[in-house]
Amino acid sequence: MVERRPLLDLFTHFLLLLSAVALLVPVWLAFVAATHDIAGVNRVPINWLPGPHFFDNLSEAWTRGGFASRFMTSLVVAIGVTAGKIVLAMLAAFAIVFFHWRLRLVVFWLIFITLMLPLEVRIVPTYAVAANALRPFQAILDVTGLTWLIQMVAGIQVDLQWRLLNSTAGLILPLIATATGTFLYRQFFLTIPEELVEAAKMDGAGPLRFLRDVLVPLSGTTMAALATILFVYAWNQYLWPLLVTTEPERATVMVQLSRMVPRGDGAPEWNIVMAGALLAMLPPLAIVILMQRWFVRGLVQTEK
Amino acid sequence: MKFKIAALAAGLALSFGAHDAEAQTRTRFTWWYGLSGQLGEVMESYCKNFNASQNEFEIVCTNQNSYDRALQNTIAAFRAGEHPTMVQVYDVGTTDLMLSGQYLPARQLMSENGYSVQWDNYISSVGNYYATSKGEMLSFPFNSSTAVMYWNAGAYRAVGQEKPPETWEEVEKAARALKAQGHACPIAIDFDSWQHWEQFNAIHNLPMATQQNGFGGLNAELQIAPLFRRHANNLIAWQKEGLIQIRTPQGGRGLADSFAQGECAMMMASIANHVAIGRTAKADLQWSVGMLPLYAGHNRTNSMVGGASLWVLKGRPAAEYKGAAAFLAFIAKPEQEQFMVSNTGYIPVTRTGFESIKASGFYDQPQNRGREVAMTSLLVTEPTENSRGLRLGNFTQIRALYANEMAAAFSGQKTMDQALNDLQAESNRLLRRFEQTYRGRQLP
Amino acid sequence: MTGARGFRRIDGEENLERRATFRTPLLPWLLVLPQLLIIFVFFYWPTGEAFVWAFTLEQPWGGGREWVGWQNFFEVFNSAHYWSSVKVSIVYAVGTSILAIGAALLLALFVDREVRGSRHWRVALIWPYAIAAPAIGMIFRFVFDARAGIFSVLNTISPNAWDPSLNGTHAMLMLILAGAWQLVAYNFVFFLAGLQSIPRALTEAAAMDGAGPMRRMRDIQVPLLAPTFFFLLVINLTDSFTNSFGLVDIMTAGGPARATDLMVYKIYADGFKGLDYSGAAAQSIVLMGLMVLLTFVQFRFVERKMHYR
Repeated sequence: MVERRPLLDLFTHFLLLLSAVALLVPVWLAFVAATHDIAGVNRVPINWLPGPHFFDNLSEAWTRGGFASRFMTSLVVAIGVTAGKIVLAMLAAFAIVFFHWRLRLVVFWLIFITLMLPLEVRIVPTYAVAANALRPFQAILDVTGLTWLIQMVAGIQVDLQWRLLNSTAGLILPLIATATGTFLYRQFFLTIPEELVEAAKMDGAGPLRFLRDVLVPLSGTTMAALATILFVYAWNQYLWPLLVTTEPERATVMVQLSRMVPRGDGAPEWNIVMAGALLAMLPPLAIVILMQRWFVRGLVQTEK
Repeated sequence: MKFKIAALAAGLALSFGAHDAEAQTRTRFTWWYGLSGQLGEVMESYCKNFNASQNEFEIVCTNQNSYDRALQNTIAAFRAGEHPTMVQVYDVGTTDLMLSGQYLPARQLMSENGYSVQWDNYISSVGNYYATSKGEMLSFPFNSSTAVMYWNAGAYRAVGQEKPPETWEEVEKAARALKAQGHACPIAIDFDSWQHWEQFNAIHNLPMATQQNGFGGLNAELQIAPLFRRHANNLIAWQKEGLIQIRTPQGGRGLADSFAQGECAMMMASIANHVAIGRTAKADLQWSVGMLPLYAGHNRTNSMVGGASLWVLKGRPAAEYKGAAAFLAFIAKPEQEQFMVSNTGYIPVTRTGFESIKASGFYDQPQNRGREVAMTSLLVTEPTENSRGLRLGNFTQIRALYANEMAAAFSGQKTMDQALNDLQAESNRLLRRFEQTYRGRQLP
Repeated sequence: MTGARGFRRIDGEENLERRATFRTPLLPWLLVLPQLLIIFVFFYWPTGEAFVWAFTLEQPWGGGREWVGWQNFFEVFNSAHYWSSVKVSIVYAVGTSILAIGAALLLALFVDREVRGSRHWRVALIWPYAIAAPAIGMIFRFVFDARAGIFSVLNTISPNAWDPSLNGTHAMLMLILAGAWQLVAYNFVFFLAGLQSIPRALTEAAAMDGAGPMRRMRDIQVPLLAPTFFFLLVINLTDSFTNSFGLVDIMTAGGPARATDLMVYKIYADGFKGLDYSGAAAQSIVLMGLMVLLTFVQFRFVERKMHYR
């Protein structure tokens, strides 16, 4: 602390308290709504204090939304995206940083460009690919005449199909197709002293052993930081799961939540809906609060 | 020989969980429907009852939450080869299905699977909606309805309105009297084009579009009838005066709910809501049903049939079609028609069904009072070119346009005339695009 | 924001060359192959396909397509709805960015003063980042609901005093508040990190010279934060153009009367609701162009400036 300014400190505390409360108000109101019955939640003016129905509403939302299986789906997707991205990112960054090979720069830029266009802006054609993930290859075979050739030579009609709609893979894979982690890892790998590599080579360690024995243990912090960010990112996905799950049974928590307000007539049962919203936001919230240090580090990693 | 990598890819660790592959003794087939809420529950009971009635097939039913979504998701899924065997498509989606060419015609499906159906038993205004110009039905009429006026008899009696107002002039007068008594919401409307625009044109025998509302060809052009323009301007004036309130689900309480809770004293809505309103109405609500009001000096034409039909889509295994045919034969049974009519506000779709339901004294039971109004309204004249239905492409979008333009007009962003002009121009742009997309194709 | 854009500087000019490297010809290819395959199938191919679709008219049921040249783009650019969508997107983007950046800067400046309990303040301010757009959209929709929300009392005094389902301005205001609420935490993290990287010696020297805390904020901290500010501005703008989908879909569905029909929502609505895949593809191309432009600005002008140390 540079100096003492009691009045300013007081003001600081006051301002921070005010902001913290302001951020909290919507969620507090949601919580209060989730503790009332339908009459209480529709009361004018709005209720600011909790009522007695919290657990009734929670369990109602849980059963009505079929949240048991939705949570499972979301969890699998979030873990799948997190693990998949970390592994892919680490391997790719490893190849880019520690190897000397032709086309390295080309590959680097190919990966880098994916950062420019988020899934949302290329959603229409991405959906078409999800219908058959092998379509690009089929199209290439068709255009190059290979389909025809194979048909002639081997008598086999090549018809590549891998339908991803309503599948876990379909939920996960397109979300992995960006380079976020690759760059975090690259930044981290660049900080590894050259001496370490030299020493490993002296010891006769091959690249894979170097990766396993030296880099992976060293990258613990990076991995934890990336994992928190990615988990939150994947759990909170909405547009993609909304499109790729045509069967309500396969929906994620977020998609299910959006279905809890009736589209047709009838007033929404805000107490149930808010209970559902609280349930849906709990896992990422827990992660951010518990892993705050890693989370912040993940966000600003490349600042360092 | 066809070599599919699908199986191989499915073996890859990542594609777990798409479908359980356990051996099925029954043939499974899928049905997507769009009705939600209480009506959705009735759909679900159809599925249960069908599965309980036999053990050769199993229908797997999926609620898509709304008609639009059912159609949109079906198309998206069709492109991906993951579409259901059968789908419930609402009235104005008929054109989109017809042009897709991706359906099995109802008649062909049933005859191929050994069922005989009395096609001429369908009430003509219902059946014709889903039939080709030659009269061959392509899909199965299922839940059918029309729009009626629901009114709070108790509230209106207090201002001397003893029977359902028949003309908009009467409506206006009664609403004004109600307002003078301090009633906050004499009339509720929303931005749904079906009951407020399409049906208005039908009962006044006004065209929605050239080419006999599109039946004559894809080059039909949408029109705004001068009488509707006058009416829409009246609505705005009445809203300013406090006779009308807008009640949309987005705003937290839709039409039916506002009416059932006694907040609003009149609304135009589908007869399908009748049962739900009866069940949710405030205890002392005295309500009743009348035909949609006319403007004085016009003769009443029949109102249009609404609701949805069931389409069976191409590209599924033959065994599933057997199941679909069995299900369609199941719901066509008189007792199933009875089930629909008594659990929802929908109307019977066959002549014999209507006769037997009427003969059973159904319409005299207190909880069904007013339901016959829908039949009267549908059958008041023979369907004309303007009242038999719409054959316009992209109509889901045109309905969305209507909702948006009305919202703009009622919130004062545009004048009503400007909104209607924009609605017309933009609708025609959509229709031209649809025509271009299907260039060279004819309506069946 | 997606984590996906939460990266920073990539040091275009820095040393890609390490001296100590492995020289196995095949292995690096094997290592990057999974990543390349995935981005090929789910990034490059769809992006390429968007270009094909944008120049054709695609039948909704997939029955065929017809080459139409620039027609889809002409229709997009001649559509009043499209321009109104662009307009509301800009209003939303600028509104949320200003609100979120301003509030975050203020908070970070005070938290950085390291008054007692500063660490706890960080938790108290950071958690909104974890809340998903659909959840926060649902909550804000309830909080601002005309009949059940905090302003419902206004409506009992004067009907329709507050109604986001009918009044476009109210709807946009509600959307901006929700968007900014989400972004504040993210911006806060960056401002705080930026502040903490300012050498203590600098502020302490200023304090010695008699500059008070407010003066130091104005003269030292805020100017030194300028690069962070520009960085966040670009990120916030990008985010409001792409990541707003969840909020719009849950809260307003683009209404009332298109008042909140943001570009990314319109692509979804035209493509998947309106079944006009070609028109949606053309709009995607336009939005892609905008994203590329913003990224270019970020790296060309903003990231360069960040080398202030």
